[in-house]
Amino acid sequence: MAKSKTPSNINSTAPQEAPVLIALQNAGKIDPANLSEYEQAGGFEALRQALQHPPEKIFQEVIDSGLQGRGGAGFPTGVKEKLTEESLCEACGPKYVVCNADEGEPGTFKDRAIMERDPHKVLEGLIISAYAIGAAQAYIYIRGEYTESIRRIRRAMQNCYDAGYLGGNILDSPFSLEVYIRLGAGSYLCGEELTLLESLEGKRGYPRIKPPFPAQHGLFGAPTLINNVETFAHIPYVVRNGAQVYRRLGMEDSPGTKVFTVSGDVQHPGIYEVELGITLRQLLETHCGGVRSGHRFKAALIGGAAGSLVSEALLDVPMGYQSLKSQGAVLGSGAVIIFDETRDLGEPLQSVMEFFRHESCGKCIPCRIGTVLLEQMAEKLASRPAGSRGELLNEMTREAEYMDRTSLCPLGKSPILSLGSAQRFFGAEF
Amino acid sequence: MNQTVTIQIDGSPLQAEAGANLLAAALEAGIDIPHLCYHPKLSPTGACRLCMVKIEGQKGLVMSCAVAIEEGQQVTTRDEEIEDARRQTLEYLLAEQNEEYDGTYRDELRELVLRYGLEDPARRRYPKLTGLVNRHFDDSSPVLSFDGSKCIKCFRCIKACGEVQGKHVLSFNDRGIGSYIIAGLGHWSGSECDGCGECIQLCPTGAIVEKLHRDEIDLSAGQAATSDPPALHKVRTTCPYCGVGCQIELFVQNGRILRANGVEGIPPNYGRLCIKGRFGYDYVHSTDRLTAPLIKRNGRHEEASWDEALELIARRFNEIRAAHGPDALAGYASAKCTNEDTYLFQKFIRIAFGTNNLDYCTRLCHASTVTAMLKALGSGAGSNSIEDFAKAECLFITGNNIIETHPVTATFAKNGKEKGHKIIVCDPRWTPMVRYADVWLQQRLGTDVALLNGLTQLLIEGGYVDKAFIRERVEGGLDSFAALQQQVAAYTPERTAEITGVPAEKLRKAAQLYGGAETAMVVTGMGMSQSTSGTNNVYALINMMLTAGQVGREHCGIDPPRGQNNVQGVTDVGCSPIAYPGYIPVGNKENRRKLADLWQVPFEDLPAEKGLTTIEIAQAAGRGEVKGMFIMGENPMITDPDLNHTRKALENLDFLVVQDIFPTDTTPLADVILPAACFAEKEGTFVNSDRRTVRVRKAVEPPGQARPDYEILLDLAGRMGYDLGSYSGSSDIFDEIARVAPIFSGINYRRIEQQGIQWPCPSSDHPGTPTLFLDAFKTANGKAHLVPVEHIEPSEHQSSDQPFLLNTGRNLYQYHTSTMSRRSPALNEYSNSSYVLMHPKDARQYDLEDGAAVRLFNQRGEITSTIRLHDGVNRGEIFVPFHFRETAVNNLTRAELDPDSKIAPFKLSACGVEKV
Repeated sequence: MAKSKTPSNINSTAPQEAPVLIALQNAGKIDPANLSEYEQAGGFEALRQALQHPPEKIFQEVIDSGLQGRGGAGFPTGVKEKLTEESLCEACGPKYVVCNADEGEPGTFKDRAIMERDPHKVLEGLIISAYAIGAAQAYIYIRGEYTESIRRIRRAMQNCYDAGYLGGNILDSPFSLEVYIRLGAGSYLCGEELTLLESLEGKRGYPRIKPPFPAQHGLFGAPTLINNVETFAHIPYVVRNGAQVYRRLGMEDSPGTKVFTVSGDVQHPGIYEVELGITLRQLLETHCGGVRSGHRFKAALIGGAAGSLVSEALLDVPMGYQSLKSQGAVLGSGAVIIFDETRDLGEPLQSVMEFFRHESCGKCIPCRIGTVLLEQMAEKLASRPAGSRGELLNEMTREAEYMDRTSLCPLGKSPILSLGSAQRFFGAEF
Repeated sequence: MNQTVTIQIDGSPLQAEAGANLLAAALEAGIDIPHLCYHPKLSPTGACRLCMVKIEGQKGLVMSCAVAIEEGQQVTTRDEEIEDARRQTLEYLLAEQNEEYDGTYRDELRELVLRYGLEDPARRRYPKLTGLVNRHFDDSSPVLSFDGSKCIKCFRCIKACGEVQGKHVLSFNDRGIGSYIIAGLGHWSGSECDGCGECIQLCPTGAIVEKLHRDEIDLSAGQAATSDPPALHKVRTTCPYCGVGCQIELFVQNGRILRANGVEGIPPNYGRLCIKGRFGYDYVHSTDRLTAPLIKRNGRHEEASWDEALELIARRFNEIRAAHGPDALAGYASAKCTNEDTYLFQKFIRIAFGTNNLDYCTRLCHASTVTAMLKALGSGAGSNSIEDFAKAECLFITGNNIIETHPVTATFAKNGKEKGHKIIVCDPRWTPMVRYADVWLQQRLGTDVALLNGLTQLLIEGGYVDKAFIRERVEGGLDSFAALQQQVAAYTPERTAEITGVPAEKLRKAAQLYGGAETAMVVTGMGMSQSTSGTNNVYALINMMLTAGQVGREHCGIDPPRGQNNVQGVTDVGCSPIAYPGYIPVGNKENRRKLADLWQVPFEDLPAEKGLTTIEIAQAAGRGEVKGMFIMGENPMITDPDLNHTRKALENLDFLVVQDIFPTDTTPLADVILPAACFAEKEGTFVNSDRRTVRVRKAVEPPGQARPDYEILLDLAGRMGYDLGSYSGSSDIFDEIARVAPIFSGINYRRIEQQGIQWPCPSSDHPGTPTLFLDAFKTANGKAHLVPVEHIEPSEHQSSDQPFLLNTGRNLYQYHTSTMSRRSPALNEYSNSSYVLMHPKDARQYDLEDGAAVRLFNQRGEITSTIRLHDGVNRGEIFVPFHFRETAVNNLTRAELDPDSKIAPFKLSACGVEKV
């Protein structure tokens, strides 16, 4: 059940309107196993419309919508589609679309909610994207522990094949698409797009060097569009309603809605789809019932392990990709973990460093060794009293900065996010 | 080709190809950017993060191994920030590293540690991560050991095994700081590792090192080591095993060879080796080596002086020549010896013996191939370069167990496969290449002509006939093709399937792959040639190739990889009863006169008539017509068919001289045994399978009184009263070869100092010829010949008391008669005894289980061996390797010769099997 309440509608001229939901629009309202219920809710209208237009019209619409990747990096989705569509490569064979459903960021459980509650929507977005870039094959790479998501996506796929939304000549058009499911085996790093592609190719989950980017040289060496589940779930809305309508939601530079997964010291932890531009205070107070009763807000870890630790100084900053960045924080996957005044922040830092050490693949030296050093230092940090460990935090930050500059993949570039923000917002506490 | 652009590195301009790898281009230009995981022959990995640079306009540090060159890039390879980050990366690495160093290998990390002044632990920022230093250790391989505490996780060994050798045995286990290298599913010994040691050669730190001889390196002989073991000096030479001609570097100390590495960056092997090339050199220092001349007295071989031995030989040979004429003498040369040795050998036989009774083991392996290719194409040599195995879009490999017999050539085939190229394997027996094959045609023994005619028929049916090619480049054009067409019409897929046992749909797929490929090469081997229809087999293959027009272009053609190091060269320099050096036919007055002039001997002194071939010589000896023989480096008592008969023939000789490096199964029959220097003890050249003349260099002194073959020959000729010429050294002999054999005209030692040259090389400014037949075939009028041939049932069949057809061949770990390879304990750990491959269903039928001791027998002889069940042989067919003298399989083979080439059918003998 999406605990969706009325968000404050930043850009809307009619603040009294019902909240607009995209990814979780049907969540809890329809039977996720039932295709006709999805269709009655407007499902596959977008695909029908899309097939009436040339592919470039579709990705142009997505570009105009300003939709950014919802996995965490926030890269403009339409630009990625355009690059993949235009990537010409005679030798490299057919193009691919890949759905990244290997949700592994701590505190993040939005993709699971979307897949479990509205799996057809994810598929519709995937099918439209495949049409937009000219792919005939798509893969959905799902975290192996997500047994229910796997079951529901699989069921929805069967429904789509039966109804002619997948397979040969979709809706009697020349466009055909086959979709395959592949399961992740528990590696956090395989949620990183290039590592995911390695894993899909049957290889060990090690990150590739970049460039080349997937749009040029992706799965099996072919041009590949790889998006997060939530991103795909936005595509039908953009296509049906047009870029202008989509842009009315959210912020100028971060349009649309975002699913936040809130946990920690709050009254009502859960999954909330709200328009971007909402402040952390609004999210907490309007949706989550505020901080744990009798306690005060102290910090929030936004974006999971690869996220930033922010203080009340950021409570009233509208949350968007750019706005948070300019404050030295990140939006990331939309995970929000709340800590009240009883918590020592050494603890979450230790937990994050332990996580990175455990998940570091070991391919590049800075991350392999750096995560071990950081884990050891974080252990000390957590065991020392507040006020005595500023220099230790500074040291850790220096290591993390070096790792950020020299690591191969995003994992080694992540520790600086929590450490840097802890230093910036909570320096005094350490 | 991409355009050349200019970039600036540290302010200096550098010309490079757009899109090229920045680190590679910089290193090639001598710009020293630190790196550990990068190696020029591997794809960039990006693991060590040391090759970081700054590029104007790009944020932060970028790894130069991941940068494609673009016009105008401004690159900074070092400044304070970069150097500091590099130092920190090294310090990180040292924190997990076991830094013990025993000086027996090159340690690239250590070199960087010294360069960045980090050798003192007290001056480092990070203490050792004690307890986290990886303690995984794997000592289970016969040839190498892995020490996780020295592994920097650079991926070079994994890529060496996968990208280079195409084996994919190595990978990481676990992850993060705990990750370590494993072979297969766990241990080296239980994995598919075949011991090639590419991983050792590419390991930058000594995490993977060879076991052999490291403890013998005397470290006191050198100073503190920062490069290859300093106490060793390196001698670049050519591998003495198969005909790939791998360039190797021997590491020598105190007169002993202690290591062999592949030479990086040059053809044909680009640093690659197989297990024999890397670890098979122990025989050089074997205590079994012949070290003094031996004369047989009262049935026993006794040591003698060179003077005594050579005087005796000179007298006896002269007596036989005087009493029975020159043709009562004969000689076997050896494919193991250098061009210089064998050139002088044929000169010796032709002048001092005065006969053309001169042959060598090529008669036993590729004689039929050469016979057919000479007639059809005008040249018996392979048309392509070894690198072409990675470039041709389709490889048609027939009767060639290439992974085991030409392991390094096979790595190129595997590289091609990884690029998406197609491989067709035709073999009655499963070979490792089947794993890489798109289609495997498992024909019955002795049905090659039918199989190939059937494929030619399918090429015609499938519309793959290259009519333009046939019109322009085939003698008789479409008319002669019509004759072929008519002749193969009877080989319908159904009938072909019936004869060969290969299903029609597989035949169709093979024809489609070969005919449809842009470029395709055929690769042929002993499975085709060692047959009573050997010559016809190869004609049928050439017919198929000409029909599809898959020759006469780059990356197309026909290649018979040579089994021994110098098979190609020994024929090139004229050890043939029918050809002078350079394939100039014997029996032609003009040719004879020219040679007599060049050799400055009277025309009459050179024999006029063609001589006898290998097995004909043995047969003539058996009849008492040949009475004296000189065998230089051959071992007919293992290699020749029908050994009992061969023994009788050699025993029947009045006088036999065997010159070798070891006592063999032939030496007991010799009246005099002469000790020769081996490849590592003399200067010279070999010619490899792609016609490349490569240098052999002296690394150590011969043992005892052993001498280089050519010196012995010159000495002996003098004592017999003949002057073979005076030479200042082997280079001088080669210059004479170049004068006599036009294919070598432009080659001399100076030109091949760095890398070999492929003949024909007509002039000193000619670069050599990578591909034959591009403009014309080597026949008289430049056109190829179609020679239609029919399938003939082999004369030996299965019968009730001999229900099996016996196939023979080689494996990866032993070589030929094993006189060299079996003196390597490491090779013996992989394979040291004979076995009989038998289909499990046959075994059940005859009540034989895996490991059963059996007797194999027929009317010619018998051997005992051990059953090994394998469903990769056809029902009713068995396979036995010929390496093992105690079970010499040629006791069972026959000397019924192919009429055209006189080769013997080693691959098909009827025999019975019974339990012992």
